[in-house]
Amino acid sequence: MSIRTTPVARRTVLGGAVLAASAGLLSACAFNSGGSTPQASSGKKVTLTFQSLAFQATTIAAVKKIVTSWNASHPDIQIDLRQGSWDNVHDQLVTQFQGGTAPDIIHDEAADITGFAEQGYLADLKPYLSSSVQQAVPAGIWKAVTVNGKIVAAPTLLQTYVVFANKKAFADAGVSMPTGDSMTWDRFRSIAKQLTKNGKYGVGWGLSQPAATVLSTSLNYGGTWFTGTGKDAQIQIGANELKVPETIQAMARTDRSIAPTSITQSGSDALPGFFGGKYAMYVGGNYVAQQITQSGPKGFEWDVLPPLAGSAGTAQAADPQTMSVSATSKAQQQAAQFIDYFMSATNQAALAQGDWLIPASEPAQQEVLKETGGKDGWEQTIASGKGLTAAPFQTATNYPQWKDQYATPLLQKYFAGSITTDQLKSQLTAGWQSVNK
Amino acid sequence: MTAVTEAPLADTAQRKPGPQRPKRSRQRRAQARETWLLLLPALIPVALLSVYPLVQGIALGFTNAQAGLNQVVSFNGLQNYVDLLGNSLFWSSFRIGAVWAISVTLLQFLAALGLALLLNLKLRGRWLARTLALVPWAIPPVTIAIMWRLILNPDYGPVNQILGFLGLPSDINWLGSFAIALPTVIVVGVWSGMPQTTITLLAGLQNISGELHEAAEIDGAGTWQRFLHVTLPGLQPVIIAITTLDLIWNFNSFALVYVLTAGGPGGQTMLPMLFAYNEAFRYGDFGSAAAMGNVMVVIISVFLVLYLRAQARAKRA
Amino acid sequence: MTAVTAGTARRRTPSIRRRNRVVRPLQYVALAAYVVFLGFPLLFLLTTSFKSSRELLAPNPTLLPQSLDLSNFGQAIQQANLLQSGLNSVIVAVSTTIVVTVISLPAAYALARFRSRIRSAATGWILLSQVFPFILVIIPLFLVLKQVGLVDSLVGLVLVYTVWSLPFTLWMLQGHVASIPVDLEEAGATDGAGRLRVLVSIVLPLLGPGLVATSLFTFISAWNEFFFALVLIQNPALQTLPLSLARFVGSEGQVQLGQLAAGALLATLPSLLFFVLIQRRLTSGLLSGAVKG
Repeated sequence: MSIRTTPVARRTVLGGAVLAASAGLLSACAFNSGGSTPQASSGKKVTLTFQSLAFQATTIAAVKKIVTSWNASHPDIQIDLRQGSWDNVHDQLVTQFQGGTAPDIIHDEAADITGFAEQGYLADLKPYLSSSVQQAVPAGIWKAVTVNGKIVAAPTLLQTYVVFANKKAFADAGVSMPTGDSMTWDRFRSIAKQLTKNGKYGVGWGLSQPAATVLSTSLNYGGTWFTGTGKDAQIQIGANELKVPETIQAMARTDRSIAPTSITQSGSDALPGFFGGKYAMYVGGNYVAQQITQSGPKGFEWDVLPPLAGSAGTAQAADPQTMSVSATSKAQQQAAQFIDYFMSATNQAALAQGDWLIPASEPAQQEVLKETGGKDGWEQTIASGKGLTAAPFQTATNYPQWKDQYATPLLQKYFAGSITTDQLKSQLTAGWQSVNK
Repeated sequence: MTAVTEAPLADTAQRKPGPQRPKRSRQRRAQARETWLLLLPALIPVALLSVYPLVQGIALGFTNAQAGLNQVVSFNGLQNYVDLLGNSLFWSSFRIGAVWAISVTLLQFLAALGLALLLNLKLRGRWLARTLALVPWAIPPVTIAIMWRLILNPDYGPVNQILGFLGLPSDINWLGSFAIALPTVIVVGVWSGMPQTTITLLAGLQNISGELHEAAEIDGAGTWQRFLHVTLPGLQPVIIAITTLDLIWNFNSFALVYVLTAGGPGGQTMLPMLFAYNEAFRYGDFGSAAAMGNVMVVIISVFLVLYLRAQARAKRA
Repeated sequence: MTAVTAGTARRRTPSIRRRNRVVRPLQYVALAAYVVFLGFPLLFLLTTSFKSSRELLAPNPTLLPQSLDLSNFGQAIQQANLLQSGLNSVIVAVSTTIVVTVISLPAAYALARFRSRIRSAATGWILLSQVFPFILVIIPLFLVLKQVGLVDSLVGLVLVYTVWSLPFTLWMLQGHVASIPVDLEEAGATDGAGRLRVLVSIVLPLLGPGLVATSLFTFISAWNEFFFALVLIQNPALQTLPLSLARFVGSEGQVQLGQLAAGALLATLPSLLFFVLIQRRLTSGLLSGAVKG
């Protein structure tokens, strides 16, 4: 570590870089993207990898059970179950596709896979899926997984954003819990205001990743944010689109009824505060119910409030979890066969109950109602699924990048009060134009 | 690297000059062969897995390589760099990277120098400080990040609880709010990089002869004067070496911030490495990500040359 | 502020002694501040891992857990799959250390003893390899490994770690070799022993502390590494500890603070223990290597 080495180092650093660059120009053509051509192999035994993202203990168990029973009855098509993670699924899939190590059966969500489909990484499932599976799911949801006329995934579970309530906090504050088929945003806002006192807040809302929540619930007011699909998708921000962000901003800045720390936290980071009684309500995906039952303190009494509603009702975006087959898989047909089995009403009902999510398949919804008797909020949960429709942002190719680089930071700034509504609107629009070149 | 045999001057460091010239040259050739043999086991993997990919990576920065099945890759000259010039997000991540690397390096240096000076004294209990000073090095950056996330948790972390106990504002979301996230991450960065810097400076301190200090003390120099005129000049080579390395390491760091904030909130802690990682492995723009890497190398190199030249000039003066 | 030998202490003037009465306590205060800054996070991690989730969410927390709850550890091991990934980490770190030591020893010897342009080139490369961001390397490296079927494999990871910790190890080790007097070797060489014999029988035994330091350095680098593993390892059964911990953060870990702390602690324990055990030898090894490079 002596200073004597530095003149040498300096020369080598610069000289080396120039040399390396010129040598590299000659050999760069060796860089090529991965992937082998698929071969049809039937009759022979195949082992297929299935990367599941199930993360709640109950769902992991349900997935394992499905795979085990399939493997027992299909000795020629064995499924090798692997555990992935929602947290980095996108990066992981980019890497796996590029390296040719992608699993045969891929679990993801609709809003995330459009880009992969356009890059040619996902197989068309249309020829393989049975008609019963195709009929089980409503057409509006199939739309969310159709890219350039190809069905690139089977939609499995759906989530809606719901408001959870701490019953004791409501009782302590003397506020009665809203009932009925829906709860307007105005009502929600005024309840939150009433609950904000004595150092406690009305709502805890983990908004560090606000884009999906805002875009999805904007359908309450008919705000679609985008028109068109794929690379041609155009951004469109009008009064309807801005209604939800404006309400959240007013709650955060004017009413101060959203716990300030929670706004900058992730959904699950904000959950302990809900358990600890820092806020009486918590907004999140309905799957959080499972985490509340599993991780909440003993004796924690909670409920799900009626779905949020705007001028256009309780509609939210249907962003289903998806099951796709890799285009590089050597046994696409067999992989699709497993997905077909995975989609059966019984299996989907079991998974839905594990995750507290809504199955996209209508027979599975009936099954869940039958098995649970509609208790524990299942009746409301399944009913809220009726309002789910495909939203244009899900099929916009560059949505993930726009979300990361523009929507997330700009919405955060907006909720923190550092930009105005007009700035939000114009910068989101400009961001889309620079991303979607 | 084939220049070995033509290097008569550099070779003589360890050998006494011999009278017989032909014998010496034969010896030297044998020695060169031996050198190569000894180096070979290290050279082969380095060439295959470090030089070759690096050269390819640099070249990749001049192509339009993108994710996609059976994509055709072609050279696009300087197009990536033209695009980067207009990419304000990239430049803002560069600015963040510079702020991060310079502040962490500087604070780390000051903190480590203070600690090294204390450890060099015969204080009771310094073994504890010495062990603790080394410990962050044994902890994976991922664990360090998790640990600090727990400490800085706005609701249940001890930092806010202590602030609340003292009657200060206690609802600060250290890693989540726009203004504070970067400074917070910098403090964690300082913590995690203390060991290497401290140990190197301590080594440098122990190498300064005690006699110089005694002489200065007898001349009536006070503690501060001795520090300025004996300790600092003696440490200078070590200081330059370690701050240079720290600066490079910090600029290229990834894991700590990836787990702490993943670049958030709203890109406030998006270091260049995170940005380039996303460009490649989230958005599938490999060519453009490699181009970012090239720009980073050029800028670091320019910076290093300027820094080292300034130091050399200061030394001469 | 520097160590004063016993001799000079006796010769001190009263004014210096008086000033010392002020300075010394201040030095202890500063040292204590460092101990708190460096040690508190660890202490906190330790106590958090023993706290039950109810206690963690309590409004008036205490630093020490009210009761020792070991369930966090069991759950963390199960949820984050720590046993499997711990085993993977051990395999990768130990193999890397062995391979690096074996191939860097002769190379370090050559670099230290034969001062030539190879030496300058090697030194240049060592610095260069520090300057280049990994992003530039990872994509082609990924493709090279893919061609030989070593993506998503621990062997591939060991190769990558070997290559990328080699420069620094080499640099430190050649510093240690340089500090061994050449005369010792020449005595051996005149006996007619070959270079390799000299290396093994004379240099190797003298390199003890240096080898401990450099192999620990390699071990810890491999144990801690995250970026390459993140990109290269996709099969969950092959994840190393940092990977499974990072993924744990992304899922259950945020709700289960105690489990997260327990997992983080377990992942650190092996390298930490290893480290504390040989800390003394390590410091001397690092110190001499660092200065003589």
